[in-house]
Amino acid sequence: MFEVRTLRSRILLQVVLALMTIPFLLPLVEMVRGAFAGRGFENFVVVWQTGVVPTFFKNSALLSLAVISLVYVGSLTAAFGFSKLRVRGKEIYFWLMIAALTLPEVILLSPLFVTFTKLQMYNTLFAVILPLAALQLPFAVLLARNFYDGIPSELIDAGRLDGASTAQVFWYVIMPLTKPIASAVVVLTLINTWNSYLLPLVFLQDRANQVVTLLPQFFIGQYSNDQTKILAAAVMTAVPTILAYVLMQKNFERGLSAGALK
Amino acid sequence: MTTKSTMARTSARARSLGRPAPGTRGKNRLNGLPWILPAFIFVAGLIYYSVGYTVYISTLDWDGLSPQAQAVGLGNYTGMLADPVFWGSLRHTAVFWVVTFVVQTTLGFTLAAIMHSRVKFATLHKVIIFIPTVLAAATMAPVFRLFFAEDGMVNDILRGVGLGSLAHAWLADASTALPVIMMITIWQWTGLWFILYYAAMSQIEPELLEAARLDRAGNIRTLWYIVWPSCRGTTVSLAMLSFIGALKTFDVPYLVTTGGPYHSTEFLGTYIYRMGIRQAHIGYAASISIVLLILAIAGAILIGRANRREVGE
Repeated sequence: MFEVRTLRSRILLQVVLALMTIPFLLPLVEMVRGAFAGRGFENFVVVWQTGVVPTFFKNSALLSLAVISLVYVGSLTAAFGFSKLRVRGKEIYFWLMIAALTLPEVILLSPLFVTFTKLQMYNTLFAVILPLAALQLPFAVLLARNFYDGIPSELIDAGRLDGASTAQVFWYVIMPLTKPIASAVVVLTLINTWNSYLLPLVFLQDRANQVVTLLPQFFIGQYSNDQTKILAAAVMTAVPTILAYVLMQKNFERGLSAGALK
Repeated sequence: MTTKSTMARTSARARSLGRPAPGTRGKNRLNGLPWILPAFIFVAGLIYYSVGYTVYISTLDWDGLSPQAQAVGLGNYTGMLADPVFWGSLRHTAVFWVVTFVVQTTLGFTLAAIMHSRVKFATLHKVIIFIPTVLAAATMAPVFRLFFAEDGMVNDILRGVGLGSLAHAWLADASTALPVIMMITIWQWTGLWFILYYAAMSQIEPELLEAARLDRAGNIRTLWYIVWPSCRGTTVSLAMLSFIGALKTFDVPYLVTTGGPYHSTEFLGTYIYRMGIRQAHIGYAASISIVLLILAIAGAILIGRANRREVGE
């Protein structure tokens, strides 16, 4: 957008860019510096030896897998119905779902706490899976529906004329076309679930079923005065996320930007 | 970037065709209800059940466990009006929204414009700016507590450049804690703003920029009169996103300052948590939740409507 002709202005632009980027890097530098302070790499060994790290990661993976499955199946089928099939009063159903987009999750705490306690689901992964999936489904439906609306209906009519059922049309005609939107839904749901904090904080009390976002808190309880261990734990939770992003840059950027814009 | 622009174009086409999408009115359509019902029942069941239940709880004086809950009618709501912490959190939310939105928009837009120019190491810069967006606030909270501490990096840098007199424990000071919370949020979300403006700028017709250049418009004028108006849709969406985001703010203030010192970083989310879970005033927490929900829906409708009116002109 900037037209830079002279060498001087090109260098200037490059310097401005670097100056704007460095502040984004500093906290990450601080994290690594803090994690290696004191006893250096041994901080990581000590954190690892508490034995809880793999459990927390396993729980986060399970949680993400469950939420993604629910959101994936729920959103793709519903969006197909909303976009291509006849449903009486469908815009009412649609807007009732979309209104849920504005819902802050903190509203769910009291009612779900009371309900889950009664149903004996408090302190199980289900207590987090269900609300997280319900909170993310509306958006995924909106995304997928916008995408399906762009698929010509003639494709479906053609499938029908060949005698295919609705399910067959969905499976053989629509599904192969949905890759871009499906991967956006998966990445967006993955990041939101993996990084979710409030619902796990309230509903997962047992160490055996806690997730990675609760890891720093756990170590704060464990080593209240030893910042280095807490930061080592933070590095251990940050690295997989950064790696995943760097390896799948396009998918992450597309998924998150799809998430921001309707 | 190509895929992104394709996606944008697809949805634009869908919109221009109008809803309901073509073909839905054909005569041989099978009933689509079974396709939407599972998702609908799940979402509406859980969410509307919770909202309804919250409305009911908000009329009680209750700790969430004891069998005796006392009905107080609108008592919780009138109590809220006289609660300085509630008004404080509303004020923080408003300041937080305006500041983070303006700063993120300025930074994101400028960065996108720079990256669209001929610069080296563009991908490296992009990755560095976007990494904060994918990291959990919970992961970064301990880092930021150290970063802004008495012996943290911020103070090291200030002392290094001769501004040592400014160095202090930023989070323990009620006058600097809220700005720090906003800085952390800006650090986290500018990457997303940048990516969206970058995508929006890719859609501007090159002829438009050429014409501006032929008219000898300088870089700044081109940015202001051509590029910025072309990104309008993105700006409006981001305004709405950050409005709802500001109302939902919880993780960063809760984890970094727990709403303190002296409620100086209290937000609606942290206050609801403090009241409902920590102090077991579930009824009062529920009434604040309802106010929060009404604000979120009203705000989304207002921004959406303002946008539609201007586009219609």
